[in-house]
Amino acid sequence: MTQSGIPPESEIRALVGHEFPGGDYTIAHWENFLLTECTGAEPMPDDLAHPVALFHMPILGARTSIGEMFALGQAESDFSIGIESYDWEIHRPLREELTYKVTGRITEADRRQDSARTFDRIQFQFDLHDPDGAHAARTTITWTYGRSSR
Amino acid sequence: MKVAVGDEIPEWDMPSVRAERMRTMAAILRDPNPVHWDRRVPAKLGYGDHTINQGPLGLSYMVNMLHAWAGPTSIRRIVMRFPMAVLDGDHIIARGRVTAIREHAGERLADCDIWLHRPGTENPLEGTATVVIGD
Repeated sequence: MTQSGIPPESEIRALVGHEFPGGDYTIAHWENFLLTECTGAEPMPDDLAHPVALFHMPILGARTSIGEMFALGQAESDFSIGIESYDWEIHRPLREELTYKVTGRITEADRRQDSARTFDRIQFQFDLHDPDGAHAARTTITWTYGRSSR
Repeated sequence: MKVAVGDEIPEWDMPSVRAERMRTMAAILRDPNPVHWDRRVPAKLGYGDHTINQGPLGLSYMVNMLHAWAGPTSIRRIVMRFPMAVLDGDHIIARGRVTAIREHAGERLADCDIWLHRPGTENPLEGTATVVIGD
C-alpha cells in the first residue's frame, strides 16, 4: 500500500497472467441438492448439476478462494468489492459426481475512475474440462475493488 | 419449440428472498463476506435489517426461468451485471425477451435479454442469455 492507502497501480496491473495452482472438483450430490434448493428450484433431473455451481466450483477447483481473490486485489475490506459481471459459458451440461479439471487465471487488471470513485477492476477466468478432456465450461468473474483513499 | 423474436419468456417468481438460503449458500461457497449472513454488517452500510443476496443466487433465478422455459440443459451462455443489491425479503421476478434466433454449430439458438425485476425499484440484475431452442 502507498501512504494514501491505495496500492500502486503497477501492483494491480502486474496481476495479469497470475495463474492459480489448478486442480479438480467433483460436485457431490448433497452439494448439488442444497445449492439447487437455495435457488428456489426443484431438484435437477437425472444427475444434472444446477449451473449455480459455476461460481464456487471453479474457484475451489482451481485451488483458490474468495478470500484469496479479495486479497490478491488488496481489497480494503469485504465491503469494498463490487460485482461488475459474471459470464458463464456452458459447452456441456454439468453433472454431479463427475470430476472436472479446473484451471484459472487473472486475465485483466487495471485502475479506473468515474465521476464518483476510484476503483480497480480485476477479471478472473476459469476453465472446466470433463474427464473426456472436453471443454465443459468457462466462467469469467469481473469484480471491482473500491478505493476509498485518494 | 416455437419461438420468435420479441417473445416474452414466461416469468419466474420468487415471492420472498430468504436469508437462510444465503447462509447455506455462504457455507457451501466458503464465502467469508458477512454481508450475506450477519445482519449487523449490512445495517452499518445502510441496507437496514437485511442480509445481501449472493450474486450467483440472483443469477440462479435467471437460470431457473430459462430452464423452466427451454429445459434443464438449454443454457449455452449467460452474462449478468449487478446494478443493485437484492436483499432478504425482496419479491423478485425473473423476466426475459427473445432478441434474435440463429444457428450455430448445428444448434438453433435464441439470444435473449434477461433481467430481474423488483417492484418499485430499478432492475437489480440485467444481462443476456443464449439458449438452445431445438427445432
